[in-house]
Amino acid sequence: MEDLIEITVTVNGRAVHERVPARMHAADFLRGQLGLTGTHVGCEQGVCGMCTVLLDGEAVKSCLLLAPQLDGHEVATVESLAPDEGLAPLQQAFKEAHALQCGFCTPGFLMTATALARSGRTLSRDDIREELTGVLCRCTGYENIVTAVDRHINGEHVDV
Amino acid sequence: MSETLEQTRTRANGVGAAALRKEDDRLLRGDGRFTDDVDPAHALHMAIGRCPFPHARILEIDVSAAAELEGVQQILVGAEVAQRTEPISVLRPVPGAPQLPYYALAGEVCVYEGQPVVSVVATSRAVAEDAIELIDIDYDPLPHVSDVLEALADDAPVLHPLQLSSNLLATNPQGNGDPDAVMAAAHIVVSDRFRINRVTGLPMEPRAIVAHWRPGARELTAHVSTQVPHLVRMQLAESLRLDEGDVRVITSDVGGGFGLKLGVYPEDVLACLHAIDLRRPVKWTEDRLEHFRATTHAREAVHDFAIGADADGRITAMTNTYTTDLGGQNSPFGSAQLSSIVFTGPYRVDDGFVQRRVALTNKTPVGAYRGYGQPEVNFARELLMDRLARRLGIDPLELRMRNMLAQEDLPWRNPAGALYDSGDYRLALQMVADAVDYDALRAAGRERPDGRRVGIGLTSFVERTGYASAKFLANRGSRYGAHESVTLRANRSGGIDLFTGVSSMGQSSETAFAQICSQVHGIAFDAIRVHAGDTGATPLNTGAFASRTLIAAAGAVSAAATELRDKTLRIAAHRLELDDVDGLEVDGDAVVVQGDPSRRIPLAELHMAAIIGQGIPVDEHPGLEATAHFEPEHAAYAFGSAAAVVAVDPETGDFEIERFVLVHDCGTMVNPTLVDGQVRGALAQGFGAALSEELRYDADTGQLVNGSMLDYFVPTAADLPPIELHHTEVPSPFTTFGVRGVGEIGTIPPGAAIANAVCDALADFDVQISRLPVTPELVWRELQQARNRSETP
Repeated sequence: MEDLIEITVTVNGRAVHERVPARMHAADFLRGQLGLTGTHVGCEQGVCGMCTVLLDGEAVKSCLLLAPQLDGHEVATVESLAPDEGLAPLQQAFKEAHALQCGFCTPGFLMTATALARSGRTLSRDDIREELTGVLCRCTGYENIVTAVDRHINGEHVDV
Repeated sequence: MSETLEQTRTRANGVGAAALRKEDDRLLRGDGRFTDDVDPAHALHMAIGRCPFPHARILEIDVSAAAELEGVQQILVGAEVAQRTEPISVLRPVPGAPQLPYYALAGEVCVYEGQPVVSVVATSRAVAEDAIELIDIDYDPLPHVSDVLEALADDAPVLHPLQLSSNLLATNPQGNGDPDAVMAAAHIVVSDRFRINRVTGLPMEPRAIVAHWRPGARELTAHVSTQVPHLVRMQLAESLRLDEGDVRVITSDVGGGFGLKLGVYPEDVLACLHAIDLRRPVKWTEDRLEHFRATTHAREAVHDFAIGADADGRITAMTNTYTTDLGGQNSPFGSAQLSSIVFTGPYRVDDGFVQRRVALTNKTPVGAYRGYGQPEVNFARELLMDRLARRLGIDPLELRMRNMLAQEDLPWRNPAGALYDSGDYRLALQMVADAVDYDALRAAGRERPDGRRVGIGLTSFVERTGYASAKFLANRGSRYGAHESVTLRANRSGGIDLFTGVSSMGQSSETAFAQICSQVHGIAFDAIRVHAGDTGATPLNTGAFASRTLIAAAGAVSAAATELRDKTLRIAAHRLELDDVDGLEVDGDAVVVQGDPSRRIPLAELHMAAIIGQGIPVDEHPGLEATAHFEPEHAAYAFGSAAAVVAVDPETGDFEIERFVLVHDCGTMVNPTLVDGQVRGALAQGFGAALSEELRYDADTGQLVNGSMLDYFVPTAADLPPIELHHTEVPSPFTTFGVRGVGEIGTIPPGAAIANAVCDALADFDVQISRLPVTPELVWRELQQARNRSETP
């Protein structure tokens, strides 16, 4: 059998100790080994952005990381966003703007937008468009996603 | 059947309301259940070995090294699969075509790059893929053909010599009048050959299946990412030689379908076969490189189109012969079939002829994709409309108006037999002209101070949504009907469980169905729980494709909700000691006496009474459940017009789409927010196919050269032009509430509008565009060609 590597990683605020195959990528680790299936896998090439998570607060594509590289780091997935009941403000903004259809890409956008919101940067609508290019969506045409992120970061008053 | 909306009461989240979606919370919280999220204990994993050549004979397959790899459980090759299964059934056969049976694994000859040749199941995906690398396959490459017209040449290698003497699978002519004679007598004829690019729908969720067989129970459970769970159940049973009763297909959330997840794929049959042999769950999720080669492609076609007109620009005849590319073999839906039915568009044409030819090439099989032939034919016809206008010196807007069917002309049957139901086509076009300020733009001229040229491109279209009756489908050999079905079951919490075979793939059917149920029944939207996509729990239906779900399901939900409401009211009348139900209605969570709010019975109490059969009228049976089926008697034709305003650099060919306006009619809108979402999403795919997407094959090697997300350019958030949407809302006389389908229309106008705008901007240079996608490089090349033409005496 394959050699396993021991890692300790903080996932959504909780420390986990796991043994993982050396060639397992981080998205497969989160999904298959920790059961955090909110993180999706769409291309395994770092292009589509479905697997975007926060690594030490920064949005990264978890299919481009190996699970052993997570050792000693903090990971946040879409499961960390909502309170026990209901939705977090960013998620509520997505719902109200009809910013999702099939929902497969949504966790990628939510984690990208979470990092954006935490950056404290001032972002125009066009800036947001550029920042979101790392995640693909085939359903919505993006406009409503941009609106949701814009409202979340800049407030309701911004032109839609 | 024409049923208008009961406007007696406006429901908070009833028909017409911008209700927030039922699907959203689970998807936003990461609690969706996509097929790859299903992770049963003791699951094994499958990997597929695929042919690396476009056309090759398999000489020998040596699996010995792979079989010895630790963790490998089973290896299947084509001979064994052909012995143990039936060919995968075609759901929508090409009329007049001979059977072209295909199995889950290639037999002696492979006909496209990516065709499954061998399957391995192992303890992990990684081990299964390692095993694939250890399998030694000796191929003898055969001459191949990639181009759709070259495939029909006399010297082309024939892909299926046992069934066909050439690569022409079938020819389907349709028409009316005497178009040849009328065309010959026309004052002017414009014609050209238009090449439509091969693209793919690229849903973000890859295909996936998890199959599990319990031999003692004779039960195969298959979790499949599909738009048609009940059709997949039939196809799996047929291929695996099981009774349908032995097969349960479960489809939870689907991460986009767009036509690509319509029916069984080879990998589905293989995973089930392995699961049956191994008595353990077998899981397979496509990777993206496989997706580009093994999931159906779309659109590729060559259209020869001609329009004849009189000196005033009145169209007298239209003809269109086109060849679609099916790829190497069949798929459940095959290449586009709807170009023919809408080839004349929204124009009055009495003499018309259209002919579809289906060709085989050594490329990935082609299947359904959003639009299914309608964007393709629209591109050809609408580019010629602009050329006709230019040749006659008539404004393109005026030319379209002059030929467009008037509201009072409808219903109207076009030369291909399509019955256009209702609509004000001219109003939609005028609204587009007004929205872009057409006259002012025209008056401002084409030249900009920065040297760029500005053009306006128009396009007008009709779109078939849904199917005409099952009788229509039967004439075409289709193995599915035109109906939808729904079961409503009251529960003891006072809610309603709504069961539908329509799986959730982003089209918001859960929300729309609940809105209709709430509207008709009176129960609160929030008290309706939708259960979708499990063939073990839902009534047998057709599925989510062809913009047909709502057209049929609106009738089914409406009928079932009426039946459930009426029984609920009868029980309430009994318990209130009233003679009849007059004056009673369901209002949210209770039955109330109109005008006397103090007299109300909670639905929870009525549902419990009905379910246990206590305190109900003596002539009522216990239970509170209704199943209804509904089949529309005609399709409904959505319609619209669009304009693109484009600025082009005449030196480089680079261009910018400054505005894009669409006026669109999908009949009565069940939820305007969802309508806009569907239209915008389909537009984005339309822009991708118009501007950047093209699956390219190397002519010499026959290899797909850009089969990865790094090389195939779908639009990102920064790539789309500003889009303005407007609606008209003319109810269809043929459907419940007057709805029309809405999911596909956005794919139709971008290509034609953009190409017409570029040609309009470069009118001084006499640039013509006859192919997709429209790239700066293409525009530059056409500019060079136009200059060469003008310099050649």
